[in-house]
Amino acid sequence: MSTTGPPALRVRFGLGLLLGLVLALGGGWALLRGARAQLEDDWITRRAIVSANALGALVGQAADDAAARTLVAGWQATHPPGSRVRVIRGTALEASTDPADSGDRAAPRRLAREEKPLYDQAQRLRAGVDSNREGGAPKPEIEVEREGSARRVAVPLEADGKVTGMAQVLVPAEPSIGARPPLQAALLLLAALVLYALAALFLPPRVALLATVSTAVFCLASAFFVGGELRALGLAERDGQRALAATVAAEVGRSRALTGAAGIDGGALDTDLARRPLGLVTGAGAIDREKGEAGAQDVRRRVLRSLLAIVGLGFVLLVLVGFGGARRVGRALVSNRQAYAYIAPAIIGTTLLVFFPFFYGIALSFTDSNIYNTNLPLSELWVGFRNYGTILGDFGVVRRAADGHWVFNYLNFYWTFLFTVIWTITNVAWGVSFGLLLALVLNTRGLALRPIYRVLLILPWAMPNYITALIWKGMFHRQFGVVNQVLAIFGFEPLSWFDRPFTSYLTALATNGWLSFPFMMVVSLGALQSIPADLYEAARVDGASRWQQFKAITLPSLKPALVPAVILSVVWTFNMFNIIYLVTAGEPGGSTEILITQAYKFAFQRYQYGYAAAYATIIFAILLVYGTIQNRVTRATEAL
Amino acid sequence: MAGSRREERTPHWILHAFLVATVIYTVYPVLWVLTIALSGKQSLAIADLPADPTKLDRVRAVVPWPTRFAFGNFISVMTDQPFARWMLNSAIVAIGATIVGVALSCTAAYAFSRFKFPGRRFGMMSFLVSQMFPGTLTLIPLYIIIVQWLGLGSTLSGLVIVYATTSIPFSVWMLKGYFDTIPKELEEAAVMEGAGPGKIFWSIVLPLAKPAIAITALFSFMTGWNEFIQAATFMDKEEMYTAPVGLRFFVGGFQQQWGYFAAGSIIVSIPVVLLFLYLQKYLVSGLTAGSVKG
Repeated sequence: MSTTGPPALRVRFGLGLLLGLVLALGGGWALLRGARAQLEDDWITRRAIVSANALGALVGQAADDAAARTLVAGWQATHPPGSRVRVIRGTALEASTDPADSGDRAAPRRLAREEKPLYDQAQRLRAGVDSNREGGAPKPEIEVEREGSARRVAVPLEADGKVTGMAQVLVPAEPSIGARPPLQAALLLLAALVLYALAALFLPPRVALLATVSTAVFCLASAFFVGGELRALGLAERDGQRALAATVAAEVGRSRALTGAAGIDGGALDTDLARRPLGLVTGAGAIDREKGEAGAQDVRRRVLRSLLAIVGLGFVLLVLVGFGGARRVGRALVSNRQAYAYIAPAIIGTTLLVFFPFFYGIALSFTDSNIYNTNLPLSELWVGFRNYGTILGDFGVVRRAADGHWVFNYLNFYWTFLFTVIWTITNVAWGVSFGLLLALVLNTRGLALRPIYRVLLILPWAMPNYITALIWKGMFHRQFGVVNQVLAIFGFEPLSWFDRPFTSYLTALATNGWLSFPFMMVVSLGALQSIPADLYEAARVDGASRWQQFKAITLPSLKPALVPAVILSVVWTFNMFNIIYLVTAGEPGGSTEILITQAYKFAFQRYQYGYAAAYATIIFAILLVYGTIQNRVTRATEAL
Repeated sequence: MAGSRREERTPHWILHAFLVATVIYTVYPVLWVLTIALSGKQSLAIADLPADPTKLDRVRAVVPWPTRFAFGNFISVMTDQPFARWMLNSAIVAIGATIVGVALSCTAAYAFSRFKFPGRRFGMMSFLVSQMFPGTLTLIPLYIIIVQWLGLGSTLSGLVIVYATTSIPFSVWMLKGYFDTIPKELEEAAVMEGAGPGKIFWSIVLPLAKPAIAITALFSFMTGWNEFIQAATFMDKEEMYTAPVGLRFFVGGFQQQWGYFAAGSIIVSIPVVLLFLYLQKYLVSGLTAGSVKG
């Protein structure tokens, strides 16, 4: 860094500031433009719903068909030219202001065959209203479609608490917010550069000084930008609220004019899709102060996190360029371009489909992402450590039921964890002991048929393990399975293996035990064969017993091969998805799930992606801790 | 206890008895599948029990020998059932992923082995660490990326790119280990004769590394051929199943077509079992050399 001259240093920090601010302000402006467009869109929909609700209330109260048609005609006359209304009752088009419904198609008439979707829509809305009356999860009573920028809103018509039909209203879009030019951002950028240039000219060109100045200028500009834009966004939200209130007031006024004195309740016009009032506009047509303020804050909060992230990125760019990091990276790229060209395809591939998914998964674990909201950005679903709290904070593994029995909660994390640990230990212990025993037998000098035994004993490892799992599942079948047939030979009753946790666990253990010991056998056999025979000769000459020989020669020589094999098989067994998923499938009631299958079920059977991601992250943490401890232990044992 | 088996003094017939018992244990499930496959029926019982079975009937029901031989299951699983299609899907996916994955791994492993450049150690370490990522954690984002963003759900190409990229770290480590053993003098000689790095890689290193590349490719193929979870997650349409997903389809849920399953398993297993028996010595040395595959 000392080799760079003073002017170069000034320019470098200036360039860093420029690039950082362009990223922060430009990216922020683009983000906010998107947010404003979204806001505008939402307000247009909400106001269209107000108009449609007003019409629905009017027509629903109409005394007869003729009165309804008069009302619709009056409604059309008092609304902007692009508006359209159609009223459907049963299979009849009762009233319409659509130009297509004139002449011999003029209302009232029966719906034509190709208009079946209208009839279906009316039925859907009726079903929604009926279902919401009975309670339960709210179903939509209003349907909104886009037609260009206009909205086509369908609302149910009600008389005396019964749904009698449907009104479909086309409401042209009226913008309420408007766009915001990038003027503020551009001015801020210019001002920041001028400020930096002035400071840099008069200050001695030292790295610390220039870094401080450029950081200060960057922070200042970003703060002005974020503050100003958030305020503008809040104002835009207020504009939207005012426009909504104006629409409500206008609709109330029109309906009064159309029906005489009996008007409609303004507070009930602004609703969500289940026709529950949102309460922003009071019956008198004024804006509820608290709700309005909360709305503005909510809008600001939603963009704040993304905005700060972009500003942070800009700052990283400033630091990178300013301190010459970018330059060094560029130089390294150029001088090692051959090496980078060779690794680039593999790196890009793994970055996109191995590392990015990993970090995305971790990010997902901090959200309540699920199948219904995957189209929303993660920042809107952010719940912090809530998933981790729910998973790790629930210690309710067992409780006593009313009749005094112990009831296990098999979905509890600690149950699954305990089961996974037991599963891993029993499997590895069986694999090591049985594999080692077989290796010792096979290593006997002069044993006939050894190669044949070896191949036949490796067979379980060679079989694809999902096939093994399905075979064993078949063999444990209650009625036709071979295992129960063997039990029957010895006079036992057939067992329903998958009905009790313990027997279910035994089936998985039998399956995994069958396929896992050959690995240990092969590893041990390889290590045994590399022990020089004269070691045993010498021991025998010294009068060592066979047990002493085993302890002093065989075991220590096996250790270098066995320790990595055990470590490996612990990780394998811990993550042995196929066996559990295909053999026990967690039966009964999820009691025999291991962590990894449980995480899978949360993701792909209960569709709680965020929760499942947190679960999987915890699994990764456990493996990481295991890896570190195992590393320490092996190093310590090697030192002995 | 085990030490007593180390010397000639232990009579061999005891060892043989023990080994034969163990072999029966390991071979029985395989024979069971063969029996079901050759029985020509969909039932998972080897023999039908009479209403009042004697001891002999019961023993007959567990001896893995079909009551009559019939090849119907093999024929109809390949013709009436879409199993041939599923095998083809599996073959396309496994071969495609192997070609893409090994091609990318070869160049990367060569660079990691021969060039010194910033980020080399970091790259190798991150490949190693990536083998510890739990499959389920990356499965959810992969599902979102492949199915929801790229729209490649139920397509072979989606599965190919997933298998190819996830196999890269292991392949790179395997190949780099082999490239390291190729003497540098050969390349230096080529440099003296004016060959560029591209030519050296293509016409000297790659031909020399053929055995290692072949073994890496076979592993990659086997992994793709046997993979179940990702295929089960990404492939929704029945005609796009791979063989593992299809085999489970025969006996999972409400289907109980054990005859088709058994015949299909045997057809699917034979190539990989043979491959595996041929490759297992490389696998053991590669695995215990320190890479941890999770």
